[in-house]
Amino acid sequence: MSFTDTPLSRIKLLNPTYPNKATGVINGQNSGLLNWNDIAYPQMYDLYQTLLSNFWKAQEINMQDDIKQWDYLTETEKDVFLRINTQLASLDSLQTPTMTQVMDYVTDSSFKAIFAVISQQEAVHNESYSYILSSLVPLAEQNKRFDQAKEDPVVQKRNQLILDHYEAFREEPTPQKLYELAINSINLEGIYFYAGFAFFYHLARQQKMLKTSTMISYIQRDEMQHAYFISQFIRILLTENPELNTDENIQYAYDTIDRAVQLEKEWANYILEDIEGIDLEEFHHYVEYLANKRFRQIGLDNYYPERDNPMAWIHVFSDEMMNETKSDFFEQKSRTYTKVSSSNGFDEL
Amino acid sequence: MKACIIYSSVTGNTYQLAQEVYDTLSASIEDLDYVHVDEIDYDQLLNYDFIAIGTYTWGSGDLPMEMEPLFDWFEEQSPKHLRTAVFGTGDSFYPNFCGAVDLFRDMLYVKTTLTVTLKVELMPQSHDIKKVPTFCDRLMPEPVYS
Ligand SMILES: Cc1cc2nc3c(=O)[nH]c(=O)nc-3n(C[C@H](O)[C@H](O)[C@H](O)COP(=O)(O)O)c2cc1C
Repeated sequence: MSFTDTPLSRIKLLNPTYPNKATGVINGQNSGLLNWNDIAYPQMYDLYQTLLSNFWKAQEINMQDDIKQWDYLTETEKDVFLRINTQLASLDSLQTPTMTQVMDYVTDSSFKAIFAVISQQEAVHNESYSYILSSLVPLAEQNKRFDQAKEDPVVQKRNQLILDHYEAFREEPTPQKLYELAINSINLEGIYFYAGFAFFYHLARQQKMLKTSTMISYIQRDEMQHAYFISQFIRILLTENPELNTDENIQYAYDTIDRAVQLEKEWANYILEDIEGIDLEEFHHYVEYLANKRFRQIGLDNYYPERDNPMAWIHVFSDEMMNETKSDFFEQKSRTYTKVSSSNGFDEL
Repeated sequence: MKACIIYSSVTGNTYQLAQEVYDTLSASIEDLDYVHVDEIDYDQLLNYDFIAIGTYTWGSGDLPMEMEPLFDWFEEQSPKHLRTAVFGTGDSFYPNFCGAVDLFRDMLYVKTTLTVTLKVELMPQSHDIKKVPTFCDRLMPEPVYS
């Protein structure tokens, strides 16, 4: 059996004879003791700390304003709101256990720690959708909506792509399956959320349901950093294991992300069809722009035509807007300079 | 003429952009240094005629930690004669796209002779690469590249 198809063994919790600094992200030797000052990829410490400093929870956001506004949404807006909410929740529910599972097979304890934090954050996201729902509709309606998400054929079809690969790794945790899982994790965190994000930011553009979109902003920021991490994980996995770095696997990345792009467009056509002010063709271009970013993050070339962001309003709110109350670990030094621009005699390209 | 490119990069995007700047500048500048920010010899910095700084952005629109000492150096030295330029990569989904470029820009404008800035989303694409000759020209006293 080739290396890429040989199941990874779950590593023992502590291997005292192995070095603390891991010799590989998979199939490496690592004592299991983590000293953050002696890790194979020092940049992971920075990332770990940043992820922790993002800590937030749903209850910190007061839903009163949204509760009042809810009654003024159109029936279509309400319906789409609830369907997207439960759909996103179901994606996060998938991600929480999967990240924990991957942890068992990764031999570098600094990566394990980051997978643990990611898994925790996915749990927070999951809860925040429940929190939003519980503020707006009674339990019976919530349950109905979750059932609807489970039964929806379009939702099922798109989730299936992810599920198949997550399941395959669960059954046979080989390096190849881990690679495929990671690519699909990019699909989930880096592509599949965005039709939903578009909807909530679109409401926000109209000053509607701003508390919900504040939460969406927190979620998006976390997800962006997860995609950043998983992209690095993929690149490190392929660099350390040249057996995985094959033309077929590169093609796999292009094909699979392209498949997710098609499914996201299909989902957008279906869920956003009746939402005024979101141009579906523009959204299709947006998804391609988004996927190009994901390709470049994993070190590949753009797959779709190069274009500027056609929906630049889909982005994380500013700190002021998110009303950051928590003391920031990386408190920015106050800078005393006035903002300057090209009118001051230099060029901004 | 003596010039230096100073950069920092974790996932390679800013490094790639720095490479492009290096390749372009090296066509006309013989005395061109190219260093990672951790390897700066601060005693030498004042000997350059111009310096291009390449940085990614971290946190919420912040400088990467390793860029802080360089930022502080400019603040303390105020080398007003020095021509400077800043380029960077970031992700426009964050509220402060390339915030670190802006932080350098505002400070360098006061402390040095700031000539040009360039912001790129993640790994440079062809439309970004096309801007590099113009970027390099602005940095030089006389245009040569575009
Ligand atoms: C934790 C974290 C925070 C970030 N914050 C910002 C930001 O505020 N503004 C921005 O434009 N990009 C931000 N980015 C994106 C990076 O700057 C971007 O990926 C950059 O291209 C990385 O450069 P490198 O490949 O040279 O390391 C952030 C990325 C991470 C992981």
